[in-house]
Parts: sequence; structure tokens; C-alpha cells
Amino acid sequence: MKLLHTKLPDFMKKMYVAATAKYPEKTIQIRGLENLHNAKMQSLRTGRIEKAVEEMAEREDVASIDFVVLPRVPETMHTVAVKGLDSEGNVKKVVLEVINILHPTEEIEFGDCTDIEDHRPPIGLH
Amino acid sequence: MKYKMFPEGKIEDKMIPVNVIFMNVKDIAAAGMTQDEAIHEVAKRHMEPTAINIFDMDACTTTSDGLCIEGAIVRMGASDRGRVNPDFGILPMYEFSFDEKMLETERHLIQWKKLFPERKLFRGPDPSKKIIPIHNVVISGRASNNNSATEMMNIVTMDEVLYPIIGQLESQRDGELLVGWTGETMSVGIGMTVAEQFGRVFPHPQFKAGETAHNSGPYAKTLKQWIPCIVAAKQTMAKYIIRALDCGCVPGLDIGCSPLNLAVARALGREIAFDNIAESSWAELESVGITREWAEQSLNLSPEEVIERADELLPGVEDAKKYKAHELIQEY
Repeated sequence: MKLLHTKLPDFMKKMYVAATAKYPEKTIQIRGLENLHNAKMQSLRTGRIEKAVEEMAEREDVASIDFVVLPRVPETMHTVAVKGLDSEGNVKKVVLEVINILHPTEEIEFGDCTDIEDHRPPIGLH
Repeated sequence: MKYKMFPEGKIEDKMIPVNVIFMNVKDIAAAGMTQDEAIHEVAKRHMEPTAINIFDMDACTTTSDGLCIEGAIVRMGASDRGRVNPDFGILPMYEFSFDEKMLETERHLIQWKKLFPERKLFRGPDPSKKIIPIHNVVISGRASNNNSATEMMNIVTMDEVLYPIIGQLESQRDGELLVGWTGETMSVGIGMTVAEQFGRVFPHPQFKAGETAHNSGPYAKTLKQWIPCIVAAKQTMAKYIIRALDCGCVPGLDIGCSPLNLAVARALGREIAFDNIAESSWAELESVGITREWAEQSLNLSPEEVIERADELLPGVEDAKKYKAHELIQEY
């Protein structure tokens, strides 16, 4: 079971290693995971993403990698927990609400680039 | 390919954050294109965040507060830097043909029956045919075209414009437009909906006439308070509301209890379903000065007088300036 999902810190480390193991002068910046603290990352995709990072680092015209994680579906549904705490930090009351958040789609990351390889399976056919 | 566009940019101190393009199904057909092809084609011509709305002027639609009007958006798109997102950039609206049974759950559709039952009706998309879970929205890059193409945003700058359907229709008919801030009254009014199947905002019937979708008391007037809006002149709104009342629709029962509907019914001395308006709706209405006591003070004006005095009688939209549509709309 250990291999089915990757721990978030391991995922981050894997990407740094994939980018810099062969080319220590190259750098990678990871964005989009800042708000995650407890997460298990899909292992099957983790390996493919490592491969993509490594191949990107191998390109002669690439000096650094900007690694961005953004919602595939640009509307995410979140639970909001409004918690009331007493003076000792014990939870005395919780109100649950929902908030749906709209996000930009991946096009905002492309700049003027037209060389875009899409490895993602179609939505619904994963 | 013929089309019209309200361009991105500032109208005095109001920032319109996206281009809004209007296309017509007949022009698209004349160009030998599908509607999707037409959206991709015009997208390539504009690099700014852009909302692309395709209209069928022979169809009809409804406003969120229950007015039936001629002309409907049948498909919406969004583009950015010439690109249309392949998964989330285009969405068609669901097509209804007149069905007497719909009147059982949607009392405002008596207007459809009395005025133009031969017209197809389009409001929002079929939720089972869209992959975005909640909002009736299309998104490409920065551009978001939301609430079935009446609320557009640049999601990166987070600027927004409210462009209700009647304002969009008047934009194409060279009618009169107001460009202003939504303000507290419009913010409250947006929540006074009617319940609809495949509606502009909600996929299934939820908030009936007399209820508030916002249901947030004094906070409702702040939810959409400081947003630039492009809306039809109040004379136009008065005409549509009077027509709905003439069809027998009662604000708070058949059509929404929005400040506009209440104000016109009050001015004419027409029936208002006071007791069917929920306490939560009254709380929001009262927060912008619309009390039951005020609404009960009928003015008994004629329709002509209400239309003539619409700027004075109909509340909503702040710091507004009136334009003829051709002063703002570009034609291609």
C-alpha cells in the first residue's frame, strides 16, 4: 500500500531530484501546493510527472522549471468550518458551510508558448 | 463573420474587465460555420479576456426575477489570448419548447404562453451535460463568463462586470444603456429569483418567487455592491415589468420580489403578494429602504407615467450614465 500514494513531502522531494539530479545548475520552483499540509499524491501520475520534469531539465533551451499545480476543473468545492474555541483552544461549536471557488484555467501559464504537449486523459475517461 | 463587441476597458471610472462579444445564430449560419467554430474563429481575433455570447433573437428567455423577454443566449464561450479552453470554454443552453406542464412549477411562464409560445426558450445549460460542477460558467485562462453569460470576470485581476440579459439585448438593438455601479439595491435584487428548471443561475428549481437566494440578511446588500454593471435604461425595464404584470404576474408570487418589480407594481397600484414574501426577503429589502409600508403606498400611476418617470421611480444602479448602445458597442 505504501506505493499506491505518495506523501506530499516525498512528492516535492521527487520533483526537486528529477529536475536537478543530472543538472545541478538547473532550478525548479514548485507552486500551487502551498496550502496543502496533509495530502497523499496519486503515485501512478507521480512517476509520470517525475519523468516529465526530468525530460524538461534535459532540454538545452531550458534553464529552470516552473512547476505549477492548479485545479484541473476550474471550480473547486470546499467545506468551510467556522469554529468557536474557548480560552484553552477547545472546540465549542462548529458551523459548516460550503464555498465554490472559480479558478483560471491552464492557459494563464502558457505565455506565448505554442509547444504544448497534453498528457492528461480526457475528463471522465481517467 | 459579423458580430458586435463591448470592448474591455474603462468607461469613466468603471473597469469593464473583459470584451463581451455578441454573435447571432443567423450570421453564423450564413458564414457556413457551426457555433463552436464561430466561437473559436472570433476568439482568435481578440487577445484580451473575452466572453462570447451567441444569440437567437427568435427565441426567448427569462430574467432571474422572472420576466420573459424576446431574444436568448443559446451558447456561451470564453477565450483568452485567442484560446478557448477545450474542456471548459464553451457551453450550450438547454432548449425548451412550450409545454403547459411547466406552468405548474414555473408560474412566471404564463408570460411565455400569452406573449410568444411559438418561441423556443433558453435559460441555463442542462446540468447533466456540463462538467463544471456548480456554476453555469465557461472559463478560458483569465476569462470567465458566468451565470449563463450575464456576469463576466477576469479571474486573475478578480475584476467583474454584471451585464444582465436585457442590457445585452439592448446593446445589440442600439437601445439605451446605463453604465454604473450595482449598488446596494441591485445587490439585494439579484437574490430575488424565481424557481426554474435549468435556470440561468440554478440548475433545478430552488428559490421561489417571494424568497431570497442570498438569505443573508443585512449582508445581501453588500454581496454585489461595488461591481460595474451595464444594464438597460429604466424605461426599458419598466416596459418589460409592466408587460409581465399585464400578463397577470404578481410580484412575490409569480415573479420575483425584486426591488424593481415591487417598485413598478407599487407605482401602478397593482397587486403585490405581500404575505408570500418571506421574512428573510423582507429583511434584505428593508436593509435598502424597501419596507412593506412603502410598498403598500400605491401611486396609482398610468403605465405611460411610470415609463416616463422610470428614472425617478425604479431604484438601483448608482453613479449611472446613460448611453446609446452605438456609443459603446463596436461592430465587426
